[in-house]
Amino acid sequence: MFLSTVILVLQEILEAALLISLLLVLSRLLTRKSRENLVIPLAWLSFSVLFGLGGAWFYAAMTPAVSQWFDYVGLEVVNASIQLFTLAALVVFCFMFSSANRINRPAKLNTLAPVLMCIIVVMGITREVSEIILYMNGVMSNRLNVSPAILGAIMAAGIGVSSGIVLYFLILSMPVIWSYRVCMLLLALFAGNLASQAILLLTQADWLPYTAELWNSSTLIPEYSVTGQLLYALVGYEANPSILQVIFYFSSALLIAFSPLFLLAWRNSQDTNDHDLQENA
Amino acid sequence: MKVGFLSGTLLLLVNFLVAPSVLAATPEIQIEIRDHLFYPSTVEVPANQKVRLFIINNDPTPEEFESYELNREKVIPGNGKTVIFIGPLPPGEYPFFGEFFPKTAQGKVVAK
Repeated sequence: MFLSTVILVLQEILEAALLISLLLVLSRLLTRKSRENLVIPLAWLSFSVLFGLGGAWFYAAMTPAVSQWFDYVGLEVVNASIQLFTLAALVVFCFMFSSANRINRPAKLNTLAPVLMCIIVVMGITREVSEIILYMNGVMSNRLNVSPAILGAIMAAGIGVSSGIVLYFLILSMPVIWSYRVCMLLLALFAGNLASQAILLLTQADWLPYTAELWNSSTLIPEYSVTGQLLYALVGYEANPSILQVIFYFSSALLIAFSPLFLLAWRNSQDTNDHDLQENA
Repeated sequence: MKVGFLSGTLLLLVNFLVAPSVLAATPEIQIEIRDHLFYPSTVEVPANQKVRLFIINNDPTPEEFESYELNREKVIPGNGKTVIFIGPLPPGEYPFFGEFFPKTAQGKVVAK
């Protein structure tokens, strides 16, 4: 019970922890460009966790009802909607940092950016943690399972949060311009993962037509292996995705790659690099 | 005459469009969960055809149907029912398990 709890809880927590790290790095990097008057307050994090846990509790309580919606595929439909809504928030976030907005309306960006980051994280925590709540409620109905389950959950939470912290410092240890680039690349792949998962859920619900499996790398990197799990949380790795999933994965990632926020990491690199490096020194 | 011919062709077309979906109604297969076990634990399904799995959880605790091979994952509330569409699958064996009680809840889909 202890080990299966660690695995299950970690699977759910890892994705959210890595996402929070990426957005934290991004908040810091954007704020550092002080000449553009961008100051992203970090308060969004505590609000996100608070609202996320509230959302998770609510969604867990609603699961038996939601499960029966749309002829028993309500969970797929609601989860896919959450994914697509998160994707929309991420797209708006990346596109609002146009040079015109950065120069003329930095105050607006300073308010909107934390709100959008909050929405993205709240959606993630709601989806992931609601499953942990359901699981813990289930296994702890047997008294014998209470202490191994709680210990397992604490351990998993510890590993998950530590992984997030490691990623945070790993990215920040790079030269500033590369922190920014890696951060935006991972965010683009995260967007791809959101779209791909939504497609998978809607196919599972039979709301989207079946498309053939494009590849199968389950012998090379099994999804249940440690590498598979880490890659899943970080870039949405899947061993046997369908054609439609892959199409939506790459088109969403590309959409982010053409956003002003992403392009900023590559454009004027010399200029930004020198400025930030000096500031850093 | 022309109108008759046209409407006849249209009807034929509609028939072609509608008929396959009626003929190939998605087969449904029922699986039950009791004491964290799947009944039946080996589920035979027709190969190369979409199948609707109707899962009834008789336990008061929730369970999660999970299969890496089928690329499926779904929570089934305690004393709840759910539907998961799988396939069309090439002939073969596809293991699945209950992620909440993985030691006992195990099974496989056999596509023939």
